[in-house]
Amino acid sequence: MKISKNITLSCKLLTVHKLRTALCISSMTIGVAAVIVMVSMGRGAQKHVLDMIRDMGTNLIVVNAGHVTLVGGRETQSAIVTSLQITDADAIKSQCASVVDAAPETSSKMSVQWESENLKTEIVGVAPSAFRIRNIEIEKGRAFDEVDNDTAQRVAIIGEVIVEKIFHGETPIGYLIRIGGALFEVVGVMKAKGIDANGVDRDDRILIPLNTAMHRLIRTTFIQRIHIQVTDSTQLKSAETEIRELLRDRHRLRDKPDDFTIQNQATLIETERESSRVLTLLVASVAAISLLVGGIGILAVMLTVGRERRQEIGLRRAIGARRRDIRTQFLLESLIIAGLGGFFGAFLGMLSTFLASKIGNLPAVQSWDAMGAGLTLSFIIGLIFGIYPASKAATLEPIEALRAE
Amino acid sequence: MINIKDIRKTYMKTSVETNVLRGVTFSVQRGEYVAIMGASGSGKSTLMNIIGCLDKPTNGQFELDNINVLQLDDDALSALRNKKFGFVFQQFFLLERTSSIDNVLLPLIYTDKYPADATQRARKLLDDVGLKDRTEYHANELSGGQQQRVAIARSLINDPDIILADEPTGNLDSENAAEIVEIFSRLHKEGRTIIVVTHDRTVAEHAQRILELKDGQLKG
Ligand SMILES: Nc1ncnc2c1ncn2[C@@H]1O[C@H](COP(=O)(O)OP(=O)(O)O)[C@@H](O)[C@H]1O
Ligand SMILES: [Mg+2]
Repeated sequence: MKISKNITLSCKLLTVHKLRTALCISSMTIGVAAVIVMVSMGRGAQKHVLDMIRDMGTNLIVVNAGHVTLVGGRETQSAIVTSLQITDADAIKSQCASVVDAAPETSSKMSVQWESENLKTEIVGVAPSAFRIRNIEIEKGRAFDEVDNDTAQRVAIIGEVIVEKIFHGETPIGYLIRIGGALFEVVGVMKAKGIDANGVDRDDRILIPLNTAMHRLIRTTFIQRIHIQVTDSTQLKSAETEIRELLRDRHRLRDKPDDFTIQNQATLIETERESSRVLTLLVASVAAISLLVGGIGILAVMLTVGRERRQEIGLRRAIGARRRDIRTQFLLESLIIAGLGGFFGAFLGMLSTFLASKIGNLPAVQSWDAMGAGLTLSFIIGLIFGIYPASKAATLEPIEALRAE
Repeated sequence: MINIKDIRKTYMKTSVETNVLRGVTFSVQRGEYVAIMGASGSGKSTLMNIIGCLDKPTNGQFELDNINVLQLDDDALSALRNKKFGFVFQQFFLLERTSSIDNVLLPLIYTDKYPADATQRARKLLDDVGLKDRTEYHANELSGGQQQRVAIARSLINDPDIILADEPTGNLDSENAAEIVEIFSRLHKEGRTIIVVTHDRTVAEHAQRILELKDGQLKG
C-alpha cells in the first residue's frame, strides 16, 4: 500500500476529531517547549555564573589567608588569620615566572558616616594594581595610584550602593566622609558590578589604598588575600603550583598543612560548569516528564479512537487491509500527533527562549541541540505510546470489528 | 467457482454451544445470481462472512477457484478479499467526513499497484449508480439509498469476481431498495457473480436461485 496515500488518509481522519487531536498535540507541544526552555534557561544561568567568574578578572589566581571553606555553597574565610604579608605578594610577583602582577588586599566591615547618614560597609584596602587585575572600572572621578598608596592618602572610591544610600544618588566627588572615625575624601565612584558568584554585592563597598588601610585604619601588618594575574590561562595550573611552593617555603611550613588557600579561576569555572550541567540535566528531565504525560495522552486518545473506529477497521479488513496495514495506519496517526506536537513545541520553545532573553532580559541561551532532542523525543514517544493501540487495532478480528456497534 | 461442503460453525459462549451452521453444502457457478434467505438469527451473516473469507468455519471444506481457502494465512486472505470480493453491507460502512469518491477509492490503497486511471474509474462507477453529481459529497450529506450506491461503487472498484451483499436493502425504504435491486440485476447482466443475503422475498426474487437457510442447513 502506498505510504503517501496512507499519510494523507491519516491526516484526514485526524481532522475528524479536531478538538481531541488539538488537545493531544498541544500537550506534546507544551512538553517539548518545556524541555527547550528549561535547557536554555539552565544554560543561561550557567553562562551568567561563568560571566561573573570571568568578571573577577582575567587569568586570575586568588590566595586567601587561612582556610576558605564552602558553607552553603558560598565561600567563608576563617576568622582573622595572620599568615599573609605584603612581602608575600611582592615575592610572588618577582619570583614566579608566569605571574604578571599581584595585588594584596585587606578588608574589614566598618561604619561610614556623612552628615547625618551612616551605614556599615566593607572597607577594602587594595594596591592600585587591583583596578587592572580585578577589572574594577571607575564610573566617575578617578582611581588612586601608587603615590596615593605609598603616602597612605585618605582617599576613597565608593560603590553604587553607598552613593544611593548615603548621598541619595548625588555625585559625591570631593565630599568628605568618615570611615571608622577618620576623614576620607571621595575621589571616585566604581562602575556597578552587581552580585558576585558568592552572593556578595560588589557595589556595597569602599576601596581605599592598602597602606592607608593597614597603617591608618585597620592597623595590621597582615593582609587577607592576594589577587594574582597570570600571563595566560594555560599557565594557571603551573602558576598555582609555583605559588604554593613559594609560599610554603616562605612560611617555613615543612610538613604542616597550608596556612593559605589558593583558588584558581580555571578550577572555579570547571566546578561551576559541572554543577550547573548537572542542574540543567535535572531540570530538563523534569520537563521531559511532561513529554511523557503527552505520550500517555496519545495512548489514551489512540485507544479511544481504536474502539470508536472498530467498524472502520472491520471495513478496511474486509476490503483487503492486512493487519500490518491497520497497525501502520494507527501508528502513523500517533506519529503525526507527536510530530506536530514536537514541531510546534520546538517553535514555541525557541520563541519563548528568544523572547525571554531579548525582551525579558533573562539569562537564556538558544539551544538548538535541546530543540533537536525535544523533536526526537516527541517522535520516540509517539512511537512508544502508539505501538500498543496500533497493535490492539490490528489484532481485532474482522467479523468482531464489523459486528461492533 | 465457489464450492462449499459440509460447513459447520459453532459458537462457544459461556460454555453454551450454539450450532449456527450444521453442515451447509452448496456451490455457485461463475456469473450466477444467488439469494440466500432465512429468518433473523438463522446464520445468514455467519455464512456470508465465511464465504467472504472474513471468518472461518469450525469444520468443513471451502474451495474458491480451486484454491483451498481454509489453508491460507491472514495476509493471503486479505489479498484474496481485496482481489476477488466486493462487499456490500446493511450499514453501508462509509468513512465519515470523507467524500464519495474517496470512499470508492479506498480499496485501491490495499492493492499492490495503485492504478493510474483510478479516479476516472471511480467517477465512472459513481456515474453508473447515478451519483455523477455527488462525487464530492460526504457520507453524512447523502441519503441512505445514495450511501448504499456509493458502497456498491466501492465494491466494484477492484473489478471483483463476486459481489457479496448482506441485507443490502435492510436499512432502506422500498423505493431505494428497488433501485439497489435494479443495480444488482444490471451487474448480473454484465457478467458478475452475485450472492445476496436478504429476508425480503421481493429482493430475493430477482435472483436466479433462492436458497433457504433453516435449522443450520441450506435448502433450495
Ligand atoms: N461472535 C459470536 N458469538 C456468539 N454467537 C454469535 C456470534 N456471532 C453470531 N452469533 C450467533 O449466531 C447466530 C446467527 O447470527 P447471524 O449469522 O448474524 O444471523 P443472521 O444474519 O441470519 O441474522 C445468532 O444466534 C447469533 O446470536
Ligand atoms: Mg445478518
